[in-house]
Amino acid sequence: MDTPDLARLQFALTAGGHFLFVALTLGLATLIAIMQTRATLTRSAVHGRMIRFWGRLYVINYAMGIVTGLVMEFQLGMAWSGLTHFAGNVLGGSLAMETLVAFFVESTFLGLWIFGWDRLNRWAHLGVFWVVTLTAYASAYWVLVANGFMQNPVGAEVSGGVLRLTDAAAVLGNPTALTAFGHVLSASLVAGAFFVTGVSAYHLRRRTAEREFFRRSLRIGVFTGLPALLAAAAFGGASFVFVQPTKEALFEGDAAEFARLQAEAVTAHGSATGLADHLPPMGLVQAGAILMFVAFVVMLLIAVPSALLALSRRAVLGMRSWHLVLIAAVPLPFAAVLGGWVFREVGRQPWVVYGLLTTEEALSDLSPGTLRFSLTAFAALFALLVAANVWMLARNARRGPVDAPSLLDEPSDTPAERAPAAAF
Amino acid sequence: MEIALLAFFAVGYFVLAGADLGIGMLLPHLGRSPAERRRVLAAITPFFLANEVWLVTAVGILAGAFPVLEGELLSGHYAVFTTLLLGWVTRDAGIWLRGRVDRAGWRAACDTAVVAGSWTVALSWGVLLAATVGAAPPVAVPVVAAVVALFCAHGLALAALRLRDQPRERARRPFGASGERTVYALTAGGMVLVCLLAGSRLPLAENLADPATLALLTPTAMVLVPLLAGTQVWLWWSLGRIRPQ
Repeated sequence: MDTPDLARLQFALTAGGHFLFVALTLGLATLIAIMQTRATLTRSAVHGRMIRFWGRLYVINYAMGIVTGLVMEFQLGMAWSGLTHFAGNVLGGSLAMETLVAFFVESTFLGLWIFGWDRLNRWAHLGVFWVVTLTAYASAYWVLVANGFMQNPVGAEVSGGVLRLTDAAAVLGNPTALTAFGHVLSASLVAGAFFVTGVSAYHLRRRTAEREFFRRSLRIGVFTGLPALLAAAAFGGASFVFVQPTKEALFEGDAAEFARLQAEAVTAHGSATGLADHLPPMGLVQAGAILMFVAFVVMLLIAVPSALLALSRRAVLGMRSWHLVLIAAVPLPFAAVLGGWVFREVGRQPWVVYGLLTTEEALSDLSPGTLRFSLTAFAALFALLVAANVWMLARNARRGPVDAPSLLDEPSDTPAERAPAAAF
Repeated sequence: MEIALLAFFAVGYFVLAGADLGIGMLLPHLGRSPAERRRVLAAITPFFLANEVWLVTAVGILAGAFPVLEGELLSGHYAVFTTLLLGWVTRDAGIWLRGRVDRAGWRAACDTAVVAGSWTVALSWGVLLAATVGAAPPVAVPVVAAVVALFCAHGLALAALRLRDQPRERARRPFGASGERTVYALTAGGMVLVCLLAGSRLPLAENLADPATLALLTPTAMVLVPLLAGTQVWLWWSLGRIRPQ
């Protein structure tokens, strides 16, 4: 592999890993916010316990999203300084807004939520979690403003070899960003809903003690999963209007059309380095799209009957073959999310800012040896953390709602007295 | 104004998260048993993410208001930033995961991750700050050592403020008769100085983003700063008064 390939693989592993965890984080946050609202309004004990159980899984997953996100923020400048040099006036601004408007408050309030359980008044504690949820949405928006600009650069012009902002409203309202924002949010909710449904089905199928707890959880998952799935499809469909011509040709498997568009680009930007190399592999782009569509159809075939079955208390508690389907369906949204991401990001190659800057031009001046070192180190560390994360999610999900001193501690199987205020 | 914003968030990081790093580095010294180490880490766990986010925001402002410099700095020190990130992720994973599994081996592994990660981050900062002030290799060694020592001292000051009993006594010992508040103020002042000194060597004014970008970014950031500071004050006010048992 040459340097651009190594750098792309490194960024893809970081961003892809980040995206998987963040999808579950965003989706679970929404569901927990709903549960906590209900618990706060009605003082319902079962909903109160639900927040702790699902909140524990949420926090496990959240940590992974953060560490991959940190590496991603730095990697943009480290490995892609050509991008910050050329497009920093637009992308840098949206990255700055993401940290200021969203992530700073999110991190602060997450600490308040985890550790403020018995110290904040319950309305304040509910408000804190809604802030965590909404700032997570805001994060997604600002990141997708940057991504949308790279897919469809509007509201800026090239002068003196760099992009300058000419119309901020066009950047912020870029249809490629807005449709992706709706698509990602609803796809995340699908991931969260299928996760909650699958874990609940596991417990109901095993006939563990917490029947009422998981009956309610399963219904929340099923009844949010279906509308979220339809919304994800609608936003996805809307975003297809803005798919770049080269991506469309790749998707349709029209090699002749792709070659024609590529030749046109070479005529227009003959001087751009890397324009002729690093062309997107048609098979991978198509596979990404097909994976997303197939996963969607299977999810729909599960979600529609599930929404009907969930109306029956007997089915929810006792229909074990259905439970098995719901457990098996947990990975589907993640497959769809990864497939869609590959389609969107690989499909616009060899451009990093479509039609303006090639991926190779964006690359920092780095030696292959340096990149091999960082790629190996990050890949090994992330693989370890992903394995730990999946193992801990599964372990805590299997245990069910048992008490623990805090959301960061292992629950004990014996329902000991809840630790007092100092929930460290 | 942009320079002041960047300085505000960078200084905030070194003052707040710098002490967390120091505590992580000195974890084996402050906590001699797994239970003590749990208490030592519990002193920073509710805040460490909220403290690190100051750096995330500083880098965000660097990317937004000084995009060309951001790319040059990060790619110019690629290997050091890689090391810093590896240490940072390892350390944070240790803090996040330590309580998750109730086994001695797991806790020991997580403690090791916190200590090794904290040292890696502190040394990486030492190297980066030395490079920024233009200290070449022979001179760089004492600069790195001084930065690392400052992280340790700042960590001890916070540990003395946040802990009780034995771990607190261990943290206090090097201070002699000085109160921990005084020491914390001094080490925090040292952090501010180091950060501003390094920042003053960066070609910031020459690398400002395009005026059209700054016309939107800077006023928004200025409006947000009091709000962001307010959320952190609320966090400290709510959770900071309790010393872990």
